Order: sequence, then structure tokens, then C-alpha cells
Amino acid sequence: MIDIIQIIITSPFLQRALLAAVLVAVIAAASGTFLVFRGLSFMASGVAHAALGGTALGIFLQESGLVPWFDPVLGALLFSVLVAIFTGYAGESGITQKMEVAVGVSFALSMSLAVFLMYYIPPYRVPQIWGYLVGDILLLNDLDVIMLASTAVLLGVITLMFNKEFVYVSVDMEGSVAHGMNARAYHYLMLIISALAIALATKAVGAILVYAILVAPAAASNELVKSVRGVIITVFMIALIAELIGLTTSFVVYVSPSAIAGILAALSYILALQVKRIRERVHMDVEETTSTPADLVETFNQSIAIEEKRDHNHEH
Amino acid sequence: MSTPPLIEAHNLAVRYPNGELALHNVSFTINSPSFMAIIGPNGSGKSTLVKAALGLIKPAQGSIKVLGYDSVKQVSKIRKLVRYVPQRDRIELAVPMKVKDIVLMGRLLKKLPPRFASSRDTEIAKEALRQVNMESLWNHPFPELSGGQRQRVLVARALAGEGSILVLDEPLAGTDVESQDLIVDALGRYHRENDVSIIMITHDLNPIHTMVQDVLLLKNTVIGIGEPCSIMEPELIKKVYGPTAKIVEHSGHRYCLTRDSGFDRHD
Ligand SMILES: Nc1ncnc2c1ncn2[C@@H]1O[C@H](COP(=O)(O)OP(=O)(O)O)[C@@H](O)[C@H]1O
Ligand SMILES: [Mg+2]
Repeated sequence: MIDIIQIIITSPFLQRALLAAVLVAVIAAASGTFLVFRGLSFMASGVAHAALGGTALGIFLQESGLVPWFDPVLGALLFSVLVAIFTGYAGESGITQKMEVAVGVSFALSMSLAVFLMYYIPPYRVPQIWGYLVGDILLLNDLDVIMLASTAVLLGVITLMFNKEFVYVSVDMEGSVAHGMNARAYHYLMLIISALAIALATKAVGAILVYAILVAPAAASNELVKSVRGVIITVFMIALIAELIGLTTSFVVYVSPSAIAGILAALSYILALQVKRIRERVHMDVEETTSTPADLVETFNQSIAIEEKRDHNHEH
Repeated sequence: MSTPPLIEAHNLAVRYPNGELALHNVSFTINSPSFMAIIGPNGSGKSTLVKAALGLIKPAQGSIKVLGYDSVKQVSKIRKLVRYVPQRDRIELAVPMKVKDIVLMGRLLKKLPPRFASSRDTEIAKEALRQVNMESLWNHPFPELSGGQRQRVLVARALAGEGSILVLDEPLAGTDVESQDLIVDALGRYHRENDVSIIMITHDLNPIHTMVQDVLLLKNTVIGIGEPCSIMEPELIKKVYGPTAKIVEHSGHRYCLTRDSGFDRHD
């Protein structure tokens, strides 16, 4: 125990990694949960890959001298937000199919753009683009962590303030609008702030891990936990534990912490499905033993009574 | 006339983005206050009419007013007055809402963020659930209820809210006899005891025809308007529901028998 604390104190990269793990778990809890409620979990993947395309464009603009001041992270944020707005627009009516298509198209477009631009940027900067795909939580610098922290905090505060609105938009869009809530504004607020957080998380830990951490724990919790707050807390716990185990493992054996965290996150969903199945089976057994013949007799009598009434009506 | 009409439509037409003309040449006036029913077969534009009245869809032509407020220009006024429950299939079940969360929505939607529930809100929500005999399921997950129970909770959401007009889209669809009776009784009682109007879309007028004052019969335009008994005309009903529809008289009331029952589904 003392050893571990000593290692953490003496290695800033590990401190940054731990902090980033907590922040990504916050993003998963705030963003992932509501995206899953909204039926938009795949948007996380669209946005994460858009960040990659945007980075490629940013590097290209910088290196080609077209827009020298353009930081690639601006490209990532811009693309992510555009994809979120595009998806949100397609899905305003609540039709998931359209949103899926929007994400699919954005995904294809950003990846193609990234690959296209790779031929026009200096080879030494190509790894920066790939960094957005696989990422490494152990290689973060201070600025990365500060940016990640600011968006995570912003996302957290907005989610705390507007979680009811986000839930209402997901549960009953029409009803919310009809009662005078500006549902469209909240719909876009949620998508845009999520996109910003996802983009920066992608820069920090890579698109693949972001997708795994944002979607799988939220889907898992939503199978088992029966209140909105419960789901948010459970997502945070699953995401954090997966990441911490990933980090710890990477010290013992030679392995990428993100890979372990991603696998654990995915496993949490499979585990949740199993638990749910077992629960349902137990539930059914109980129902079988408690339904006594007397109940059945009564049901039968009632159904006869209804039949009679119906016949009676027809005679007129 | 001192109070403006509950609903007033002038030559209203509504077209969906896909080109479908859901309503055309709709003109009618319903005085306030009222307990009114909008009836008509599947796809006859009942939900569309209500959505146009609430400003959820813009008219392609003409206008519709609620208590004198235009559904396009004065929509925010209308939304202060209205408590709306959409068709049951519009409620997303993937969100782990509790029964209490759904009912409290009726009150919290009219507040400003962060929309905390006061103890009075909770009390009113519980009372509303009591009206439909669901108070014992206060903490129960909403998606795990039966269809009829869910419908009862949604009606309770409307009862718990504030605003002088309740708009309910097919609250009786897919309900068992018990739920149907509870909902009809609760709405009837609420209308008698409070100064509110109720606009209810229904497939089947029979369960409520003794308590409704006005009936609007739609088939993409107004086919009939009037008291329940004047709408229950064999010729009128046959025109809308087809030749198999029948009107029967039973202990002084007319009942309508159609092949058309069950649940509208469309997105
Ligand atoms: N979102 C929509 N997009 C396109 N057409 C629609 C939409 N909603 C309803 N319609 C069409 O408009 C017509 C009226 O629908 P609706 O008002 O829902 O009928 P009702 O509620 O009486 O069953 C139907 O023909 C239906 O197919
Ligand atoms: Mg309808």
C-alpha cells in the first residue's frame, strides 16, 4: 500500500493518468448515461471519430501554412460539435433510424477525410492522428488534463443543473414541448456539451476507449438499475473501476491500460445481461409457485362474464 | 360571448413533411368549458388536430385557436394553460423512470430549472395517483407496469398538473376493463369538481359518452360535431367507420359498435 502511494507521489504521469481516469468516468456518467437514454449511444463513436478527422484537418491547415494558428484540437472540437448538431437535427423528431444514418455518414466522412489528409501532412505528425484512435492515458501532459478537467466539470455542472430536462426530453419530447419546456434547446445543449467532452476525452484516451467507456457501462447499468440517479452513479463506478484496473494491470504486465479498461467495460455489459436473465428466471419461478388455482378460477369466471356481456351487446 | 371558445378552427389544413395531408378544410367551434371527445378511425387526424392546437405542428393553411390564443403566434400562452398526455407509445420506456417521476413531470414541467419537487408537489402527485388507484406503486419502475397501469399513471400526470385544459390522446387505448373504468371515473370526477376543460381523443366513445358534452367526429376533415347522441347516428357512423358499424340502444343510451378498436400506431 505504502509502495503504491509512493509511486503515485513520485510519478506525475501516473497522477495525471489517475486524474484523467476519474474525469473520463465523470464524462461517461454524465454523457454516456443520457446518450443511452436518448437511444444515441452510437453518437459517441461518431463524435470520437469526428474528433480524429478534425485533428487531421487542423494539422493540415497548420502545416500547409493556410491557417498557421489553427490548433488541431480546435478542429477536433469543431468537427465533434458539427457531428453532434447534425445527429441532433436528424433525430429531433425522435426517430432513431435517422440518427443512426447521420452518425454513420459522419463517421465515414471524418475517417475518410483523416485518411485523405494523411498523405498531405508531414509523416512525423501522423502519429498524432492515430493517437486519437488508440490514445494513451499514461502519456498525458498538464494541458491535456486541464482541458479534460474543464470540460468534465462543465459537463458535470450542466448535467446537475439540467438532468430533469435531459430526462424529460428523452422520455416524452412532445409532452415536454407542449408544457412549455424548450425541449429543442435542451436536446442540443446535451448533445453539444457531450460532444465537447467526448472530443477531449478522445484526445486523452483514444476513440476506442472512449466508445467502450461511454457506452458499455451505461448500457449495463440501464439493464439493471431502476432509477436515473442510480444509473448515473453505477456508470461512474463501473467506468472508474475498469480504468483503475487497467492502469494497475499495466504496471504488472506489459499491456495497454486502455485495452484492459475497454475489455472490462464491455464485459460489464455482458455480465449485466446475464444477471438480468437470472433475475428474470427467478422472478418467473416465484410467479409460478404463487399463482394458485383459485386465482385461475376467478380469472376464468371473469372472462366468461365478459364474453356474456359481449354477446348481449351483439343481440341488439 | 364573454369567454372565448375552447377550440376554434378556421379552414385548417395540416400536411406532414412527407407530403401526407392529414387534415383539410377543418372548421369548427367548441365552447368553453367542455368535456369534449375527438373520435374517428385510425389515421383520421385526431392526434394531428391536437398537435396543431398545441403548436407542435404548424398548419399548412388556416388557423386554430385555443381559448382565443392562436396556435402559432401565441403558442406560449397556450402552453401555460395546457396539460398534455401524448399517445402512450410516444413515451420512451428505455429511461428508468419511477411512477412518481412520471407523475411529478406534470408539475415540474411548468416550473423553472432545477425543478425541485416541493412537499406540496409530492402531495398533489400522490393524490392524483390515488384517483386512479395507483398510489401504492409510487416507487415502482414505470416501464414494468402493464399497459393499463401505465395509462393510469399518465392520466394521473395530467390530473397532478396545473392549467385549465387537459388534453389526453387515447388514454383508453390498450387498457383492461378495470383501468378503463378507473380512468373514466377519475376524469369525470375531476371535470365535475374543477373548473377545467378536458379534450380527450378516443377510439371508442362508449365508455365516456354519458359524460362528454361535445363530440367531434373526424375523418381527415370534420364529419360531425355535436352532442354524443347526435353523433351516434347510424348513417354518420357508417360513413366514417364503414358499413359494418352499428348503433345499438341499451337502457336509454346509444352505443356504437365498430370493427375498429385497439390502438393507433404511427410515427
Ligand atoms: N409524423 C408523421 N409523418 C407523416 N405522416 C404522419 C405522421 N403522423 C401521422 N401521419 C399521418 O397523418 C394521418 C393522421 O394521423 P394521426 O393524426 O396520427 O391520426 P389518428 O390519431 O386519428 O390515428 C395518418 O394518415 C398518418 O399516417
Ligand atoms: Mg392518434
